This record gives sequence, C-alpha cells and structure tokens, in this order.
Amino acid sequence: MSKELKFLVVDDFSTMRRIIKNLLHDLGYPNVAEADDGTTALPMLQAGGIDFLITDWNMPGMPGLELIKAVRADSKLAKMPVLMLTAEAKREQIVEAAQAGVNGYVIKPFTAETLKEKLDKILGAVK
Amino acid sequence: MSNFQVLNLEYGACVEALSEALRGGDETAFFAAVDHIVRMREPQTLTEVRRLTGDLQKALERFGIESRLADFAENEIPDAKTRLAHVIRMTDEAAHRTLDLVEQSGPLAERCAREAAVLIDSLKAHREHAAGTGGIESGVRSLVAFLPVVRALEAFLPTVRADSEQIRRNLADVLLAQGYQDLTGQIIRSVIKLVEELEEALASLTKLSGDVVEHATLGENPDKGHGPVVPGVTRGDLAAGQTDVDELLSGLGM
Repeated sequence: MSKELKFLVVDDFSTMRRIIKNLLHDLGYPNVAEADDGTTALPMLQAGGIDFLITDWNMPGMPGLELIKAVRADSKLAKMPVLMLTAEAKREQIVEAAQAGVNGYVIKPFTAETLKEKLDKILGAVK
Repeated sequence: MSNFQVLNLEYGACVEALSEALRGGDETAFFAAVDHIVRMREPQTLTEVRRLTGDLQKALERFGIESRLADFAENEIPDAKTRLAHVIRMTDEAAHRTLDLVEQSGPLAERCAREAAVLIDSLKAHREHAAGTGGIESGVRSLVAFLPVVRALEAFLPTVRADSEQIRRNLADVLLAQGYQDLTGQIIRSVIKLVEELEEALASLTKLSGDVVEHATLGENPDKGHGPVVPGVTRGDLAAGQTDVDELLSGLGM
C-alpha cells in the first residue's frame, strides 16, 4: 500500500476530524475525506475510492459500531481496514468492536505516536 | 358485627338517655346527654381535623415545589440547554481558531528548516572545497564561488525573521484562544447549580408523596456508546489506557 491511500475520517466533531486530518498529513497521508456520522460515511464508502476507514463510536445518527457492522456486511467493503478511534473505554465495548471486525482500537485522548503505530501495524498486516 | 350494630352499642344508651330527658322535659338531663355525645365524637373530629390540616399543608408544600418545578421546566431548563449549546459553540470556535493558527505556523517553520538545510549544505560544500585548495588565485575563485551562498543567506535571513515573527504572533493568539475556558467554566458552573436545585426539588417531592420510587435507569442503547469516561460517574469494567486496550485485544488474538 502506498502513501496515496485515501482515508475516510468519521467523527461528529469537526475539530477532532481536523486534528486527525492534520496528523495523517504529517504521517504522509494527505488524501483524507471526512464524514460526520455513519449515515453520511456509508454512501461515501460504497461510492468507492476509500482505502482506510477511521471512525469514532459515539455519534448521532448512525454510530461507529453500526457503521463497522454495515461495512463488514457489504461484500465490496468487507476487507476495508478499519481503525476505531473513540472515547469508549469499557472492556465489553472493546471486545464488541473486535467482534464487529475492527482492525485496531485507539482510545481518546490519544497521541500522534499511538495513531502512527496502529496505522503502521494495520497497513503492515494488510500489505 | 355490622357497622350499625357497633354504632348502636356505642351510642344506644346516650340516645336513649337523650330521648328520655326530652320526653320527661328534663332540660339538665337533656344537655348532659348532648354533651356526652359531643365528647364521644370529639377525638374522632380532632383526628379528622388534624388529618385535613396535614393534607392541606402537604398540598401547599407540593404546590410550592410544583410551581418551582414548573418554573424549571418552562424557563430554567431551556435556558440551561441554550447555555450548554453556547459552551459547545465556544469550545468549537476556540479549537478551530487554535487549529487555524497551528496550520498556519507549521508551513512557516517547515520553510525555515528546509531553507536552512539547503544553506547548511552549501556552506559545508564550500568549506570542503576551500580546504582542499591553496594560493591567491584559488582564494579569489573561492571567494567568487562563495558569493551565491552569501546572496542566498541575505535572502534567507529576512524570511526567517518574518516567519519567526509570524509564528510568535500565532503562538500569542493560540494563548488568547484558551480564554474560552474561563467563560465556559462559569456557564457550566451555573448549570451545575441549577441541576442541584432541581435535584433538591425532586427529592422533596418524592419525600412528600412518600412513595418508594424504583431506581429508574435511562434507556441506554449500548450500540450508541456511552461517551467519554467521567471519573466518579462512569461505572463498569474500564480499560485504564491504550496499553490496557492493546493487551485486551492481543488476548483476543488481534
């Protein structure tokens, strides 16, 4: 996978989307699309062209977990690498996300190093 | 025994005495019998009056609490919602302002670093070249060759000065943008006070009605998420940090 990867960042807070977008830019991934919840994100994913999904959990409309389930249920998107970036920290939730098929789980507040480490790990495994 | 039979037992003799006095025209006996009946009724009447007074007092208290609650519902809760929405707006604006300034400053710092790196390389190359030569002629050549480096330095230094000044200004603005915390803090504190008052009013109402209220839980949809962990509020088995999350996931084979 090259640095030309296109990311979709899904978070209901525009500031958090901007922070993630900036960090991705610094990591050498300038190609980033944004959505504010699962309902907006799903059609964007289905339209194609997105290589990596980073999503929050707690959002109005369609929450992140539901989005991941929808992605995994869609034959065209089923293999999409997904990183969950969320404030949800209950162990049962982390297990639930893992069962829903996330490739990585980062809890907020997070550091640039953690994000880089998880991206590298997921992309390394996908390669 | 029926209710009427009880009444007959309690009052039969008095009523008998009363009608006896009436028939016999005995005024003293008549009033004595009436007084006796009234005394018999007194305790019940007093209990009844006491109960009514209590009910009235409760109703008045209830009315007081309920009108306070009505005021909460009509004015203060909507106000609190507006105030909290304003807090979100202010934090959002401050975060975007900060991000704007960071995004503006990044490229300036990057440009300084990039151009400085080019100059460092040129200077290094020139020094290496000059060290390997000797004589006046080569000294002049070296000086001529050095001129472009000097020009590049002359162009670079004002840019560095301007960029650094801009970065310094941006940092001062980042500092100012943090002023939102004072304002939002005050607004949130006033909303906490309102929630406390509401809590008190609801607790008094519960005490008045004397009913044991079953602990009600808010209808939660776990799929929606619970939001950030709030110390002292969030219950359940929580991951202590990213390391904890990583361990949990690796335990699941991820």
